[in-house]
Amino acid sequence: MTQVEQARYAEDEARWSALMVSAQQGNEADYRQLLREIGDAVKGYITLRIGAHETAEDCVQEVLIAVHQARHTYDAQRPFRPWLFAIVRHKVIDSLRREGSRNKLEALHSRTQATHTTSDAMEDSVSSGLLIQALSAPHREAITQTKIAGLSTAEAASRLQISESALKLRVHRGINRLRKLLAAESP
Amino acid sequence: MRTRDQLLDSLASDLAPVRPAPNLVLLIGSWLLGSLAYVVLSTWILGPLRPGVAAQLLDHPRFLFEMSFGLVAISVLAIALFRSAIPGRLTRRMAILAIGLVSLWLFNYVAGLLSPALAPSMLGKRPHCLVETLIYAVPPMLAAIYWLHRLYPLRPLRSALLAGLAAGLLPAWYMQLACMYEPVHILSRHILPGLLVATLAPVLMWLIVRLRR
Repeated sequence: MTQVEQARYAEDEARWSALMVSAQQGNEADYRQLLREIGDAVKGYITLRIGAHETAEDCVQEVLIAVHQARHTYDAQRPFRPWLFAIVRHKVIDSLRREGSRNKLEALHSRTQATHTTSDAMEDSVSSGLLIQALSAPHREAITQTKIAGLSTAEAASRLQISESALKLRVHRGINRLRKLLAAESP
Repeated sequence: MRTRDQLLDSLASDLAPVRPAPNLVLLIGSWLLGSLAYVVLSTWILGPLRPGVAAQLLDHPRFLFEMSFGLVAISVLAIALFRSAIPGRLTRRMAILAIGLVSLWLFNYVAGLLSPALAPSMLGKRPHCLVETLIYAVPPMLAAIYWLHRLYPLRPLRSALLAGLAAGLLPAWYMQLACMYEPVHILSRHILPGLLVATLAPVLMWLIVRLRR
């Protein structure tokens, strides 16, 4: 991290902490500013690590709701980022785990589009994610196909030419690996 | 899907002040001391301690170590439990330490089957120690779950499991002073009900989470 980045990091840290303390006291304007700033930061974080897929925005919104629900647990004596990014990491993994990405995608994309075209496009955008890239190829493919492109287990297994149970195992291991990678990072 | 601006409006409008969560050290200390006091008092009301237990603690260093180690393990577990209810406070190392210490303490009683810390004896046997352990564990478990519910555990079921384990093992630990000392009896009548409470707590938490939705 360069000196400029370090200074900006420390500046953001102090400002977010102060804004959260003010929000805990009921200051609406400060809270709005805090949510806007961390919303952008979280979007950048998710996009960089997982890829620029449409569900990133859903994930950001879930993080903001969780921050709202957990705001009383922030301790002003402690740094803000570890608190925030513990929530972010949890929500990212939660979002990847959850079934239903397919439904979200179907709402976003026209039903007339071929499934393969959609998942190929998603795969391209997701492949830019640093953490997804860090996964082994079998895990990356399994996660991209099922959790992000939204294919069903049967569809993804057939596309990857493996059994459904092998696919489920790859997804499970891939998500565990992602969780470890996220946890190993210091935000 | 609503836009982020709409979400920000709904979250920030009419924002009410919130009372910050209590100091974690204070919370852990009060839960631990309160639960311990409750277990000691309830045990004392329902029956005396094993005769000569003080002398056993003084004369048998291994027994003293076993009891001290158990208390330390349960305390570390309580720290991990409450830390898990605040985002970013429970580190992986802390969780491993807590579970590792508790496992070592429990393993000590398995090892005691071959080489017990005290000579096995029926002296001081309490007729209903199994039920007592179960009952004594419930209020500390409920108190811990109440606090978990007030805070924000990212993984509520895992936190509840830690709550059940800490609450269940506290009376299980104290029974080594109050009831007879014999490894099979300890494992089946003191430790096992403590572990049962550990499985009850996540079920309770799951019901609470379901009801909240």
